[in-house]
Amino acid sequence: MATLADSFLADLDELSDNDADVIEEGDVDAGNMEEDIDGDMADIESLNYDDLDSVSKLQKTQRYNDIMQKVEDALEKGSDISNQGLVLEDDPEYQLIVDCNALSVDIENEIIIIHNFIRDKYRLKFPELESLVHHPIDYARVVKKIGNEMDLTLVDLEGLLPSAIIMVVSVTASTTSGKPLPEEVLQKTIDACDRALALDAAKKKVLDFVESRMGYIAPNLSAIVGSAVAAKLMGTAGGLSALAKMPACNVQLLGAKKKNLAGFSTATSQFRVGYIEQTEVFQTTPPALRMRACRLLAAKSTLAARVDSTRGDPSGNTGRSLREEIHKKIEKWQEPPPAKQPKPLPVPDSEPKKKRGGRRLRKMKERYALTDMRKLANRMQFGVPEESSLGDGLGEGYGMLGQAGSGKLRVSAGQSKLAAKVAKKFKEKNYGSSGATSGLTSSLAFTPVQGIELTNPQAHAHQLGSGTQSTYFSETGTFSKIKRT
Amino acid sequence: MSYVLTTLTKKKEIDSIIRDTIDKVLVLRFGRASDPGCLHLDDLLSKSAREVSKFANIALVDIDSEDVQVYIKYFDISLIPSTIFFFNAHHMKMDSGTADHTKWIGAFHTKQDFIDVVEAIFRGAMKGKMIVNCPLPQERIPKYQLLYKDL
Repeated sequence: MATLADSFLADLDELSDNDADVIEEGDVDAGNMEEDIDGDMADIESLNYDDLDSVSKLQKTQRYNDIMQKVEDALEKGSDISNQGLVLEDDPEYQLIVDCNALSVDIENEIIIIHNFIRDKYRLKFPELESLVHHPIDYARVVKKIGNEMDLTLVDLEGLLPSAIIMVVSVTASTTSGKPLPEEVLQKTIDACDRALALDAAKKKVLDFVESRMGYIAPNLSAIVGSAVAAKLMGTAGGLSALAKMPACNVQLLGAKKKNLAGFSTATSQFRVGYIEQTEVFQTTPPALRMRACRLLAAKSTLAARVDSTRGDPSGNTGRSLREEIHKKIEKWQEPPPAKQPKPLPVPDSEPKKKRGGRRLRKMKERYALTDMRKLANRMQFGVPEESSLGDGLGEGYGMLGQAGSGKLRVSAGQSKLAAKVAKKFKEKNYGSSGATSGLTSSLAFTPVQGIELTNPQAHAHQLGSGTQSTYFSETGTFSKIKRT
Repeated sequence: MSYVLTTLTKKKEIDSIIRDTIDKVLVLRFGRASDPGCLHLDDLLSKSAREVSKFANIALVDIDSEDVQVYIKYFDISLIPSTIFFFNAHHMKMDSGTADHTKWIGAFHTKQDFIDVVEAIFRGAMKGKMIVNCPLPQERIPKYQLLYKDL
């Protein structure tokens, strides 16, 4: 016993030890995490206040410089068609294009970071500008133009922005709460703007290069969606063969933005379209047909990519014919429907009326059915004059109603057949129920005369139900006269 | 007047059309193309021609041509427009509360009235009747009094 207890205690200790270990490890991890977070925080803080160089490191990287150099060379060399024999992946130019795709994405991210930097610095001077001019490059240009100027009438913003926005900017500047920046900060801001613009120019160059080569690498695909989008698709897919292996539904979603953050409205969220959205064909279709057009485009461009990956048609004719097909289909969708001709009326009585039946109809008919009272009133006994409402043969006759035979003037509205069936079912259910009723009830009845007798619940229903039988001779009818003796 | 309805001018044409319309009501309008009452009726007829096409045939007879005078005498047409109904070469009569059951005198108030009349004739004819009752209420039946003839 003691040993058991001891062993239990030992187990408990082990458990706690394990927990302690786990907790310690967790702490260590958390410690690391916190350090990382602190590091990031430090980075972010340093981003805000320190040099531009800590923010944008891209331009210093080796990779960037390499690729830019190659792009420049290639652009100078012009198009080189002699490499057609090689397999696509081995072509050095192809590799360069893949790198360019990745680089352009990086440049975009870099521009966003720089934009944040400029914005934070310029907030002291002109806080409202960031909400008026959204595009990072436009913002950078405007900041560079305005500089430290307080009076915007001296600054000419023509050509940088649309005139409506220029007006708004000028008006806001006159009432801004900003103060001129110190010289140092201003210099840093201007540097950042320059760098942003340089990056933008580099990106343009890269994209131009890719576009020019696209026609050589994937002629059919670029015939359908255009070289820029084709380049983006290829870049995101990770190569032409990868793009060709994708099913069309995935191609449709390449480059689609992620789901909205929780809390933001989904009313403006576009349906699931990716880079295909930027193609010319898509932009020119009316909004109602956009979904269908997107699917069609994705399908045909997948076909074109497959053709291109096997170099089946270097001239690009397949792509052009596919594009024609797409145009034709979209036009067909927009055709108005054919005009309706008035239909001639059908021949009268040619289609037999559909008679309905069923319980519902029978219940409806019951309301207008001939009641027993009416049946009796309609008939007369032989040789017996009937009574009438106004007496003496005038007015409505009462027929067999109220005759001496039946003994009643008022005829009870006997149960209709339907109601009788329902009552029967109901009673059977009751008698058949187990346990609900007391065990002593039964449908048998012991009578002194006949012994066991079963009651027929429908006997009462049929008493006067069938008016065809005269109640004079009926066996279940009541006595006609009871003499008191 | 109407491009949809055929206009008959010869006795032979009238005979052939009466014989050839099988299992469909034949509506023959006797009148002049220039008369405004006829124009009103013709407009109605041409509009409903397609709708009724499955069980009726419509044709116009010009009373000014000589061939047709035989028929005008036979049917005793004095007021225009007069419309006569046939079914399988039998002349169908209709009791619309007026004195003359053999023809319909005047135009209809609406297209639907005309379609109702044709349908009544069709039903009666399919049952084997030679005279049918008019389904229109009395207000919608154009009444003409033969005042001038009496005088």
